[in-house]
Amino acid sequence: MRSYYLLTLAQLRIFLRNRQVLFWTLAFPIVLMVMLGSFLGNGNGVSITAAVVDQDRSEQSKNLVKEMEKNEALSLEKSSNEKDVLSQLKQGDLTLVITIPKGYGENLYAGNKADPFKLPVYYNETNMAMSQVGLQLVDNAVDTISKKSVSYEPVVITESKGVEALNLRYIDFLVPGIVAMMIMSNNMNGVAGQISSWRERGILRRMQGTTLKASTFIAAQITARFMLNGLQAMIVLAVAWAAFGIEVRGSWLTVIAFVTLGTLAFMAIGFIIAGIAKTPESAGPIAGFLSFPMLFLGGVFFPIRDMPEFLQPFVQILPIAHLSHALRETMNVGASFLDLGMEAMILGGWLIGAFIVASFTFKWE
Amino acid sequence: METQQEIIKVEKLVKRYGDFTAVDGSEFSVHNGEVFGLLGPNGAGKTTTLEMLVGLRKPDEGTAIVGGFDITKELDKVKEVIGVQLQSTTLFELLTVDEILHLYGSFYSEHISIPELIDDMLLTEKKNSRIKGLSGGQKQRLAIALALVHDPQIIFLDEPTTGLDPQARRTLWDIILRLKERGKTVVLTTHYMDEAHVLCDRIAIMDQGKLIALDTPSELVRNLQSDSAVEFKFNDEVDIALSEIDGVKQVGSQKDVHILYTDDLQETLTSLIAIASEKQLKLVDLQTRTATLEDVFIHMTGRRLREG
Repeated sequence: MRSYYLLTLAQLRIFLRNRQVLFWTLAFPIVLMVMLGSFLGNGNGVSITAAVVDQDRSEQSKNLVKEMEKNEALSLEKSSNEKDVLSQLKQGDLTLVITIPKGYGENLYAGNKADPFKLPVYYNETNMAMSQVGLQLVDNAVDTISKKSVSYEPVVITESKGVEALNLRYIDFLVPGIVAMMIMSNNMNGVAGQISSWRERGILRRMQGTTLKASTFIAAQITARFMLNGLQAMIVLAVAWAAFGIEVRGSWLTVIAFVTLGTLAFMAIGFIIAGIAKTPESAGPIAGFLSFPMLFLGGVFFPIRDMPEFLQPFVQILPIAHLSHALRETMNVGASFLDLGMEAMILGGWLIGAFIVASFTFKWE
Repeated sequence: METQQEIIKVEKLVKRYGDFTAVDGSEFSVHNGEVFGLLGPNGAGKTTTLEMLVGLRKPDEGTAIVGGFDITKELDKVKEVIGVQLQSTTLFELLTVDEILHLYGSFYSEHISIPELIDDMLLTEKKNSRIKGLSGGQKQRLAIALALVHDPQIIFLDEPTTGLDPQARRTLWDIILRLKERGKTVVLTTHYMDEAHVLCDRIAIMDQGKLIALDTPSELVRNLQSDSAVEFKFNDEVDIALSEIDGVKQVGSQKDVHILYTDDLQETLTSLIAIASEKQLKLVDLQTRTATLEDVFIHMTGRRLREG
C-alpha cells in the first residue's frame, strides 16, 4: 500500500518537475481550442454568418427571416443582390446564402402539400463542417414555419430538445473533442513513450529486482496519470468556460466516468505500443501512426457524419469517436451515463481487449 | 573452508539465446560473509549468471539456492534476502536521492533508516539533489544504497566500478569492504584484475559461458607456478621456440605480444636478449612485472581479459 502511494507520488513529482512536458501537453490543447474556437466559432456567441436574399418580399418571407433571426447562432445579413453574396460565399466570407424566390408567400398560402416549396440554400463545400451546422439551423427555422403553416401541434416533446441541441456553436462541438484528444495523446503517446524509455534505460528491470509487484506499479501509473489528466481536463474546461462560456450541461460524474474510461482504454493501448516498440525512438512514430487518423477521423474536429461513406464502418470502431461523442453528449446535451451505455460498452471493450493484448506483449526489458 | 556455510549454491545453470550458449552449466557455491568475484572478459557470461541468480532471467536448465530459497520456485523469497545493483541502470532522474530511497524502501516489507544509509554511502550532501545532477561515482553509490535499503544478507553488484575514475573506484572499494566487515555476502562481477585482487576472497574465472577456475586470488596466481612475467614484441614476425629460453616455465602468446613466465627473471632476460641479438631481432615494448590474475587468465584462455 505504501509502495502504491509512494509510486503514485513519484510519478506525479516526475510530471510536475518535467515543466516542459507539463506546459506543452497543456498548452497545445488550449491554444488549439482558442485558435479554432476564435476562427471558426467567431468569438463569443454567433458562429454562422448567412446572407438572405428576399426576392419575394411578402409577409410570409419576412416571417421566415424573423424565424431565422431568432436563432442566436445564425447571424443574418440581408441583401438584394444574389450574385454579390454568392461571390462572398465563394470567398468564404459567408457560410450560407439563403434565397427566398418570388412566389414563396403565395405558395405557402396555398399550402400545397404534395409539392412542397423548394428554398435554395447555397453553401461552400470547402467548409463542410460549418455549412452542416448552418444548414441545420436553416432547416430548423424552415421546419418551424412549415409546422406553423399547417397549424401543427407538436406531440413529441423531443422536438424542442432537438432545437436546443442545434443551438450549439462550433466551439461547443470542439471543446469535448479537445478533451478527448488530450486524453488520447497524453495516455497513449505518453505511456508508450515513457514506458519504452524506462525499459530502455533499465529502470523497469531494476524494479523487477525488488519485491515490488507489477500490478502495484501499473496501478500507481494509472492513478497518477488519471489525476494528471483530470487536472488537465479541468483546466481546459475552465479556459473553455472563461473564454467561450462553455458549460457542462450533464452530470459531472458522467464526465468524470468517461474521462476515467478513456484514460484507462488509451493507457492500455499505450502499454501495447510500449510492448511492440523495440526502442523509445520507434514508440513515437507508432503512437503517431495511430493517433493521427484518430484525430482527424474520430470526430475531434469534424462531425463523423461528414466522413466519406466508405470510412464510416472504420470510424465507428475508433475508441476516440466514442469518447468524444460521449463527452459531447454529456457536456452539450446533458445526456446521462445510462443514455451513453453503448459508448461506455465500446470503450470498455477497447479497455479490456487492449489490456489483454498488453499483458501478452508487455516486457519488463 | 569446510567450516564455511554455503549461502549460494549454483547447480548446473544453463542459459541459451538461440544457438548461442551464454552460460554453460556453471556450478559453484558462495560462502556466507565472503566477497565472491565473477571475473571474465565481456561476453563471458558473468552478467547472465548474476541476472539468473537475482531472478531477472529464467535459467534454461539447472537452478540455484540463494539464501536458502530456490530461484526457480521461490523467487519472491529470494528477492527479500538479496540486494541488487545492475550494470548501467538509470533511475528516475527527476527524483531526489532521499525520495528514491524512500520509494525503493517501500517496495519491501521493512527497510533500514534512510538517513543512516545516506550517511553510510557518503551522500549526505546530495540528499535533496536530483539524481540527474549526481556524478558517476555518486550515482553508483546511490545504486548500492538502493541495493541495501532492505538490509539484505546477500548483495549482488554487477560491474560496480566500470566507468568510474580511480578516486571514485577506491571510495567504492572501501564501501564494499565495509559491507564485508558487517557480515554481508557480496557477489560481484568485474573485469578489473586489481579490483578482484583487492576485494575478493574467492574468484571464479569465466570464459565463453564456462567456469574455468575457482580459488582465492593468491592461490590462482600461485598455480601459475611462476613469479614474474616478461612481456615484449618483436618488430618482425619470427618463428622461434620461446619455451627454450632459459628459466621459462610457460609461454603465453596472443597476436604479436609474447609473455614468458619465469621464476628467475634475470636468467630469462639475459637469455632472451642473447637470442634476439643472435637472430638480429629487435625487441619492442619490453616490460617485466610480477604475475597477476591477468596472467592467470591469459594462461588459461590464451586471451586477455580486456581486448585492445
